[in-house]
Amino acid sequence: MDEGVQLAEAASSRDPATGLRAIRALRDLAERLEALQVDNARRQGWSWQEIAAELGVSRQAAHKKHARRMRGR
Amino acid sequence: MFERFTTQAREAVVAAREQAHLLHHGYIGCEHLLLALSDGHDTAAADALAAFGVDTATLREHVIDVAGPGGAGLDADALASLGIDLDAVRRVTEDSFGRGALDRGPHQRGRPTSGGRIPFTPDAKKALELALRAAVRSGNCEISAGHLLLGVIDQRDNGALRVLKAAGVPPGALRQEVAERLASAA
Repeated sequence: MDEGVQLAEAASSRDPATGLRAIRALRDLAERLEALQVDNARRQGWSWQEIAAELGVSRQAAHKKHARRMRGR
Repeated sequence: MFERFTTQAREAVVAAREQAHLLHHGYIGCEHLLLALSDGHDTAAADALAAFGVDTATLREHVIDVAGPGGAGLDADALASLGIDLDAVRRVTEDSFGRGALDRGPHQRGRPTSGGRIPFTPDAKKALELALRAAVRSGNCEISAGHLLLGVIDQRDNGALRVLKAAGVPPGALRQEVAERLASAA
């Protein structure tokens, strides 16, 4: 069977376990990429306001989520 | 601290980092130390583990089982079900941010481009301390691979002990095996 068809079938599976597991994996991946990108932006001198704007969140939310990890950078 | 390590012990620590990278784990834990020690040549640690019939490949399978798909790493299969090729994402990410960049959890501190330096877990750091103590207790000025294995075993619980349990290796018996080999080498 064509691999693309296989993937589509898994993605549209009505089994919640499959679907939810995929969502969790996607969220984990997004979290890691977000951390990398935010750190990178800060290192390049972006303000929390600028970062928040790109992420579509408030400055406070971005700061609260990421500042502790960067510890004052 | 590493200046008091024998060459083989130092190689084991470097190899442990490599083992973690190969498994895409964002940390170096006792289980990675265990893998590295089992892969050593002519060390009390490698010989003791071989005496129990476990090789690195077998132990690695157990490390993967014990860690679980969502445990330490990203769930490649689940992402594939959405049409996301995790290998491709990892390649591009590492091109930008260095090796192991995607493997570090979002909560872990440290700059992404610090040369892919994933951190030791507290248990792994403890193993190094206990290895030093074991060496001092037995009157050695150098910490060897065998002492490193003792440092791993002499804890109540860590990733390596769980792997050994899964592989059917009793920690107490393994400890004795290592200790005897260290004593006879002295």
